[in-house]
Amino acid sequence: MAELLNAMRDAGVISEYALFGAIAQMRYTEPVATLDADVLVAVPPQTLELLKPIYEFCAARGHRPEGAAIRVGAWPVQFVPVFSRLTQEALEEAESADFEGIPLRVVRADHLAVIALSVGRAKDFARILGLLESNSVSREQVARLAARHGLADAWTRFEARFLND
Amino acid sequence: MTETRKLLERQAAWQKRRAALTWPEKVHMAEAVRESAAQLSRARSPMTTGVSASRRPGTGEVTTRQAKNDN
Repeated sequence: MAELLNAMRDAGVISEYALFGAIAQMRYTEPVATLDADVLVAVPPQTLELLKPIYEFCAARGHRPEGAAIRVGAWPVQFVPVFSRLTQEALEEAESADFEGIPLRVVRADHLAVIALSVGRAKDFARILGLLESNSVSREQVARLAARHGLADAWTRFEARFLND
Repeated sequence: MTETRKLLERQAAWQKRRAALTWPEKVHMAEAVRESAAQLSRARSPMTTGVSASRRPGTGEVTTRQAKNDN
């Protein structure tokens, strides 16, 4: 997957990518069960059909669609174009990590937590708690980032529900 | 020390060891869990054609209980 994503970026099919979701979370926490890999992507501005070039690039390399994803090795991969200012920032500020010798961009822990906060289901709350428990992000960092993206109230509710006695 | 406390300490130590794995090791562990969940799903419902088709972006994680309920 890492090689494919880097090749896709180098070929100009996408401007940039970064893993997010559960696969990204596992960089910071203990393993969690997941069915697929989620990749944030930015596409060149002139691209009209956002995901078509990605599907064509993958098909040319033998990676076929599987539901709403593309099977790459062991994983169905979902390509998700950035859909908010928060995800745009998460993509731009993602880190390059080493994955078995190959560089792989991955969303930072604080962005993962605030994206989860913005989605707001039980499993997203569990992700935030996992990231906090692993000390990969602090409550203060999440609070600052959440406030910057209009999620201060959501964070206050989360703290009251899960963190405050 | 009670048996319960010993059990909890063993569980905490096990969780710490899992968290200390490298990122690729954790991803490979999740791969194995994913395949097991898919096999369970297929075994319970022969009509199931794919486990990821209805997943929304960024929401693919599944608990064991959810995997059992995927059918």
